[in-house]
Amino acid sequence: MASLKRSVESDPLAANISNKIYVRSTKSGKVQKIVREVYLRRDIPCSSKLCQECQHQMVIPKDALGKPIPFVLSDSPAGTKVFPQGHYLVPDTNAFLTAMDLFEQDSAFYDVIVLQIVLEELRNRSLPLYNRLISLTKSEDKRFYVFFNEFRLETHVPRLEGETVNDRNDRAVRKAVAWYGQHLARIKGKSVPAIVMLSNDRDNLKKAKQEGINACSLADYVKQLKDGEKLLDMIPETQDQDQIKEKRPGDNLYPEYFSMSKMMTGVKNNLLHQGIFNVSPYNYLEGSIRVPAFPKALLILGRENINRAVDGDLVVVEVLPKDQWKEPSTQVIEEDAITKNENPDAEESDDFVSEKERKALQEEVKRTHSKTTEGHAQPTARVVGVIKRNWRQYVGHIDQSSVSQSAQQGRKQDSVFVIPMDKKIPKIRLRTRQVSELLGKRILVTIDAWDRSSRHPSGHFVRSLGELETKAAETEALLLEYDVQYRPFPKTVLDCLPKEGHDWRVPQSLEDPGWKDRQDLRDLLICSIDPIGCQDIDDALHSRPLPNGNFEVGVHIADVSHFVKPGNAMDAEASIRGTTVYLVDKRIDMLPMLLGTDLCSLKPYVERYAFSVIWEMTPDADIVGSRFTKSVIKSREAFSYEQAQLRVDDSSQQDELTTSIRTLLALSKKLKQKRLDAGALSLSSPEVKVQMESETSDPIDVKTKVHLDTMSLVEEFMLLANTSVARRIYEAFPQTAILRRHGAPPKTNFDELANQLKVKRGLDLSVESSRALADSLDRCVDEKEPFFNTLVRIMATRCMMSAEYFCSGTQAYPEFRHYGLASEIYTHFTSPIRRYADLMAHRQLAAAIEYEAVHPSTRSRGKLEAVCKNINVRHRNAQLAGRASIAYYVGQALRGKATEEDGFVMKIFSNGFVVLVPRFGIESLIRLRDLAEVEPQAEFDAENYVLETKGSREVRLELFQKVRVRVTDQKDETTGKRGVKMELVKAY
Amino acid sequence: MPLDTSTYNLALLRVDGRRWNELRRIHAQIRTQAAADGSSYLEMGHTKVMCVVTGPSEPGPRRGVAGAGGGGGGGGAGGQSKEAEVVVNIVIAGFSSVDRKRRGRGDKRTLEMQSTLSNTLAATLHTHLFPHSQINISLHVLSQDGSLLAALINAATLACVDAGIPMTDYVTACTAGSTSTYAANDEGADPLLDLNHQEEQELPGLTVATLGDSDKVVALVCESRVQISRLEGMLAVGVDGCKQVREILDQVIKAQGQKMILEGTVDKGTGLNDMDLD
Repeated sequence: MASLKRSVESDPLAANISNKIYVRSTKSGKVQKIVREVYLRRDIPCSSKLCQECQHQMVIPKDALGKPIPFVLSDSPAGTKVFPQGHYLVPDTNAFLTAMDLFEQDSAFYDVIVLQIVLEELRNRSLPLYNRLISLTKSEDKRFYVFFNEFRLETHVPRLEGETVNDRNDRAVRKAVAWYGQHLARIKGKSVPAIVMLSNDRDNLKKAKQEGINACSLADYVKQLKDGEKLLDMIPETQDQDQIKEKRPGDNLYPEYFSMSKMMTGVKNNLLHQGIFNVSPYNYLEGSIRVPAFPKALLILGRENINRAVDGDLVVVEVLPKDQWKEPSTQVIEEDAITKNENPDAEESDDFVSEKERKALQEEVKRTHSKTTEGHAQPTARVVGVIKRNWRQYVGHIDQSSVSQSAQQGRKQDSVFVIPMDKKIPKIRLRTRQVSELLGKRILVTIDAWDRSSRHPSGHFVRSLGELETKAAETEALLLEYDVQYRPFPKTVLDCLPKEGHDWRVPQSLEDPGWKDRQDLRDLLICSIDPIGCQDIDDALHSRPLPNGNFEVGVHIADVSHFVKPGNAMDAEASIRGTTVYLVDKRIDMLPMLLGTDLCSLKPYVERYAFSVIWEMTPDADIVGSRFTKSVIKSREAFSYEQAQLRVDDSSQQDELTTSIRTLLALSKKLKQKRLDAGALSLSSPEVKVQMESETSDPIDVKTKVHLDTMSLVEEFMLLANTSVARRIYEAFPQTAILRRHGAPPKTNFDELANQLKVKRGLDLSVESSRALADSLDRCVDEKEPFFNTLVRIMATRCMMSAEYFCSGTQAYPEFRHYGLASEIYTHFTSPIRRYADLMAHRQLAAAIEYEAVHPSTRSRGKLEAVCKNINVRHRNAQLAGRASIAYYVGQALRGKATEEDGFVMKIFSNGFVVLVPRFGIESLIRLRDLAEVEPQAEFDAENYVLETKGSREVRLELFQKVRVRVTDQKDETTGKRGVKMELVKAY
Repeated sequence: MPLDTSTYNLALLRVDGRRWNELRRIHAQIRTQAAADGSSYLEMGHTKVMCVVTGPSEPGPRRGVAGAGGGGGGGGAGGQSKEAEVVVNIVIAGFSSVDRKRRGRGDKRTLEMQSTLSNTLAATLHTHLFPHSQINISLHVLSQDGSLLAALINAATLACVDAGIPMTDYVTACTAGSTSTYAANDEGADPLLDLNHQEEQELPGLTVATLGDSDKVVALVCESRVQISRLEGMLAVGVDGCKQVREILDQVIKAQGQKMILEGTVDKGTGLNDMDLD
């Protein structure tokens, strides 16, 4: 029988077919050899607008609709000093890996050819960088072209015997560069742009020189550019180090990390533990890590044990022997105070743990040792490896004191420290040539590496945001720090808006498809109640008596899902933004203005599409029945809380609208009582509002928020609507409903607060259930001090878990519970203009009532989980950004003023204490050394939370104590933020 | 690891360098096993299958599960029926895919393919000419790289032609897909022809088989989720692909015929006089 096997040469097509062979290992550790076909072709264009050959003779690739892909590379590319005729860039993988920020610059780096092999390598090395590069290739003005060199016959490079993958890839890059050069050389008439390879690999550069290819290192290339000096800073520092100096062994400051396999085995055997590293906000040398193996967090103390971990990194730790266990620090240690005089240029061969740090630690040890009770010591651990860095871009400013005099004038490269705004992030060492320009500016930097031999991480400069303390720079800094997407909506998103723009109206004809399955509720007396100046009105309400003595109550929510169709660009953008962010002077919208403040907003006197939840309620606020429908409404009036309150209180107003609000108010009070009976918590956080001057929008005053009945009116009905909707969508989609849960806090969270209340006030805090907690919080009163209860509530709130969105299939039903609201099931439905979760709930509810078909993206569980994960993060960041913005403006409002206010001691340390001033909703640390010129001696009784000072000033301070403080503004040298400074006037 | 299918839109090139409407290389041979009534060997890219046909012959003793599963579409109760029964048996070699997996006889996917094949062929072969008999089609999968069912159908067609079983026309098959996933819901997604393994894993796809040069669809299998609006484009591309496959198979048959005449294996019959011999 003849063999079926043919020799490859006999096949006429063999020259065009190649194989890509590679080996990969699976998660379970199996090694797989994979062979893939590769079809080599000659019709992949060079994409240069100069090249007639590709444009005319070759078949330009077309998609299924016959649309050809446009050519990308410019016919008149920019020149440099060395290549005045213009040039196209071909970076290798390393260039993208180390300096992606450079390529995103507006001033240079146009006409870039991204080779397929480079894209592939980048994807394997770093997915985020790959995604950034992909979005660059999509941007029209940057002119990045992806050339599939592996598929073009002339540039395909088979791997040679014994050649490493890296060498082959480098050879492929050089071959592609050479091909481009020859290909473009055939252009007649015009001057031909040079093809320049960018690489930081010395070997690759050398070979390129031998082969006669234009090639430069990143630094050399940037120097050729006009603005080169500035960009030079953005080339990561580690790169220079590799080239300039070989590392000297022996002067390593930090212990080496374990190998990945050692860590993995350790974690598997439960000898090592893996978790997210968190830095204490009060002490930068103290971190904690929660690991699944233990109920309480492990402490990580000191620089050596922290071992180069940065807040948020996923690390592996090893528990230390018992003799090294410690109590959490009761001292405030700020990096700034201790490492103030370090020299960034010094070859930190001197003591690794500085003298002052040592002293601070000694004091701690003394204190722990003086305690006889050993039970207080907590297990400690040390970091042995980092699984995944959580490094991002950090906002900060250059530490003035780290700048040498010479650097302020010259253009010499100099090392300086950048102090990040986030106190939990260590100082970053930055090498820059433009120190003088960057001083006093808010700048954005990234961390590149943290070597064992360097005390601080090293990073590079990304861009400058502007002068410190200018509104624009500070706002942008804040948005960057909390990762808020604040850029204007791209055109693709705006294209999804209705074409009519502001002239869009609810169609007159009931035959219009927009009216399909919509109920006409235009005759109902609907009104909205919102804060003053609210433009994005999400919700409106109505009530009317029914003939049987019951009431019909309706909550009408803006029908955003009518305008934002799943899967389009606007939906994608909204799902990334996740939520609207409210800052004091600015609002970063989730949806474009046209929708948010006009077409969706339930403005008064105009017809709008809505999604309505309508209940029948008895006068005792028991629900008889509920239904959901898409509708068209016409709001009669948009009240502010204050206006609505006035109208309700004014008994002379007897019109129908006012009576319906009164009905709603009466029902809401009953609803609230029911909720409280079920064990809902009323928690508290210090809330203030910054009043702005209307024209200059400068802050002038700070007001605490006043609570009105009408606020809880709206709140109650929104809670009710959310709960009703949650039930309905869970019923329809038991696996994929988007819900919101609030986990019961672990009892240990309350240990400290309970102990404090017990010791100081003899009060018991019971935390068995939310009901018990609510009751015991109610008992926490001090007759002489009405604020005491609020203070305890504020502290209790901080012990809570945060609520989160989740997809119903990921949790068991009992876990759905919303602890704070004491509701079995809950979701967000009532603010679709400003929250993406609500929009998803709208779509699911619409599908549940069979208004529209289920869209695949609203029922793919994997997708929903990803959405939930994102909106949870966004939601949290939005809250933090909002608070930070208020804090900044409170600082600005107090600028130049000094007032005396009452405050309360919230937290007490051996060398300081934290005071909360309810009037401004701010808290601040007062250190012992702030009390008097000479730092007074102090005795700290940790068991009783008492701090007594002697010597230069004598005061006795204890927890919950009322104090009088002078509040002034002060620029915080560490973070560059203007914040408040408090001085103790007297202790009551 | 190479790039995935999401890079298609960057330059309209698929993961293996093809355009959207290009087939992989197809290589086929017939009469590979002299002892069999009909045999063939077919490669579509790296998917390689072998087929052996025996029959029509007297039905052998009833076999167990495989026979019952394979013969599902053969029509009637075996030997007693008026039509020949088409019994298909697929063996997937353990070394055919990346991870060595042993598939037993009762593997559900294999049974499903057997039954699809049997139904498809029973509709095209003139089984009514062979009452009380059985046609055994035995397929061996040597290597898998996507579009397996399509390759099996094509190989079986070739082997049936080789066995000289009368049939209406060629049954040719290929797969079609779409460039973006179901969840991405991209309206502008291009249809794709002839999916390889990676594309089959990441993208929605279907297998379609047509009869000869016509647009008659004799088999259509879609196991992934895809928007109905994309289906039409995919189907059109698939049917078009089937016609291309038919051309290739036709050439293979004709070349083999020529070779046999030149070698004198068959007599130059009257009907063959007009056959072009150069």
